[in-house]
Amino acid sequence: MDITQENTAEQPDLTQHYEVLQELGDCYTSVGNYVQAQRCYEKAASLGPDEPGPYVGLGVVGLQENLLDDAEVAFRVAARLDTNCAKAYCGLAMVAQQKCDYKQAFEMYLKCLELDTDNLTALLGLFQASCQMGSFAKVIYYLQLYLDMHPADISVMFSLAALYMKDGRLERSKKILLDILTLDAGHQDAANLLEEVEHNLAQTRQGSRTGVQVG
Amino acid sequence: MVKDIESKVGPMVSVLVPTFNRPRYLSEALASALHQSYRNLQVIVINDGGEDVSDIVHSFTDQRIILINRKQNHGKDFSLNGALARAEGKYIAYLDDDDLYYPHHIETLVNALENRSDCQVAYSDLYKTYCKISPDGSRQVLSKVVEVSRDFDRFLMLYFNHALHVSLMHRRDLLEKTGLYNEQLNVLIDWDITRRLAFFSDFHHVCEITGEFYSPVGESDRISVQQRKDENEYLKNLLTIRTTRPAKPWTKIKDMSIIFSPDRLNKQAGKTIGSIWRHTFYPYKIYLPLPHTDFNKLNTDMPNIINIPVNFPASETKRIDTALAVCDGEYIVIVPSGFDIEEMWIEDPLYALINNSDAREGFELEGSTDMLWAVVVKKDDLKYARESFPHLSICESLKAAGIVIRQLRPEEIPFQFDQLLQQARSAEKDGNWAQAAQLFEYIAEHHQNQLWMKTLAAKAFFKAGSHTKAAKLSCEVNRHRPTVNTLLLEAKVSREKVNFNSAIELLKRAEQILEGSELLWT
Repeated sequence: MDITQENTAEQPDLTQHYEVLQELGDCYTSVGNYVQAQRCYEKAASLGPDEPGPYVGLGVVGLQENLLDDAEVAFRVAARLDTNCAKAYCGLAMVAQQKCDYKQAFEMYLKCLELDTDNLTALLGLFQASCQMGSFAKVIYYLQLYLDMHPADISVMFSLAALYMKDGRLERSKKILLDILTLDAGHQDAANLLEEVEHNLAQTRQGSRTGVQVG
Repeated sequence: MVKDIESKVGPMVSVLVPTFNRPRYLSEALASALHQSYRNLQVIVINDGGEDVSDIVHSFTDQRIILINRKQNHGKDFSLNGALARAEGKYIAYLDDDDLYYPHHIETLVNALENRSDCQVAYSDLYKTYCKISPDGSRQVLSKVVEVSRDFDRFLMLYFNHALHVSLMHRRDLLEKTGLYNEQLNVLIDWDITRRLAFFSDFHHVCEITGEFYSPVGESDRISVQQRKDENEYLKNLLTIRTTRPAKPWTKIKDMSIIFSPDRLNKQAGKTIGSIWRHTFYPYKIYLPLPHTDFNKLNTDMPNIINIPVNFPASETKRIDTALAVCDGEYIVIVPSGFDIEEMWIEDPLYALINNSDAREGFELEGSTDMLWAVVVKKDDLKYARESFPHLSICESLKAAGIVIRQLRPEEIPFQFDQLLQQARSAEKDGNWAQAAQLFEYIAEHHQNQLWMKTLAAKAFFKAGSHTKAAKLSCEVNRHRPTVNTLLLEAKVSREKVNFNSAIELLKRAEQILEGSELLWT
């Protein structure tokens, strides 16, 4: 081809085919067509053997189809290809959670959130895992961090309010629940939890007064 | 129209396929030529002294295929001339041995040429397919990109090639005017012929993708790429092409005569002639009024120099008048002794003159001063001035004849599209996507090449975060001529809008293109 000057040429785009297949795989996953999604991810993996994306996709397909061992292998490959791949750790956490290995799930969710504090799936997964383990301190830290960036995210606000209540920090819980109801007056779960928090607060106050009298 | 052509059998098209030591891909290339929707073909394979390909060619058992088996390697130009000697088609098309036509390629270009009597040359767009070559030689496609989709611009064609040779079709009889391939060249042979075709015909740019050519990642094995690495050889070929003048009459280009009138042929004069040779791409002849005694000092290798004998001593005005009397160019450039030409110094004002054909005006060349006065004017204007006011100097006579000699305005210079494109590309490289997007959009609105520029604008808008705008532009392009890149962009935005089914349809189309759905026979 004799084009005598190269100034019309773009930088060679060598990832286009990979990108099309990865996107297509993600779209098929979103509509629940896991057979097609898997086909696309496998082809994408052959085109971009160093990319973690297709393996994350294959892991998600495995999770959706309850093939937990396959999912775990795929997420591990993704994490090996890119040790900073937050989604790979999130996937490993989800696999662990499904296998009722809450300690592993908790650790993997934490690792994911260290890399991506914005990952809502990991945040809510961490919340669930911590509820199952009864350990809340780290979850509260990440929920607060997330809310600093997304101050009106009601699902996270509600999780945080619930954790504060479980942790006995009733005033903080009440404040968040009131904020939720300001944002969404019809939020029934928040209204119910607020009622419970206020009841606990009243009991606490009464207990304190009794204590004084006794003392 | 297609049916019409088929029912009339339609004019024959000769497809020339030069090949040299690349049998791995030849079979597929030939299949793409023989499986065209347009059937009246003659496919001429010329093996240029390379590995035997007889088995591959004969495996097709198709009467339309001809094999020319040369024992010695003489180069692509030589092969093409050999094939042209056997060509019988009204039209000539080209296919390299590792490239592919889509099945409608020939039909599209024949339709374009049969419907546009003003054009005897047409070209379409091609995907540049980046690929990885596996150890077994198979190609793994990484991307398909329309890198060049440039509308025809004759002035530009004289400067550099913007029509891919594999996408080109032209009337065979045009070669009687242009001449055959220049067998002295070893690079840029495609541009040499397209440049000469531009002397005689407009080119019809069909904005359709009708094939693909391959670009293996890493070191290219293409002979043309290897040969371009010799910079001196490249320059020598470039200058040979620029100075090539097909036989007249030219129907589409007006000739230019450069009158250079040094006192004597000395070192400085030689330097000026050299500067014209190196920096002028518009077709020209240099008219050199010299005393007889200086003729033998002239380097006879210098192309396009006409010696005009003058009696010595003669004034500069007299020398110019003597040369003017024999000039056959429609445009005259006067270059004084000691005035060295730089790139575009002649073409910038010449372009303005060509585009202001009715105005009685001329332009001073960049670098021109009162002492070294250099100008480009129409020959008729200069002749009128000299005939009317022979006693005045050249400059004074033009003024007296009412010919306005002025400086160029910025909007009159050529290649504005390319300058804007370069600015946009720079902005892209700097990561200034918003600026690049605006520039691409501006170019699309004001400088043609719409689909190409909209494609680039869509990508830049997406990178700049203006996803809605990117989707709108991609959608516009996809309606006319979907490409993998624009389908991908539109799909990304659809996905963001949670319109997964729409995204899937767009991406499926992109995947099909990447996987060769256009190559229906595979």
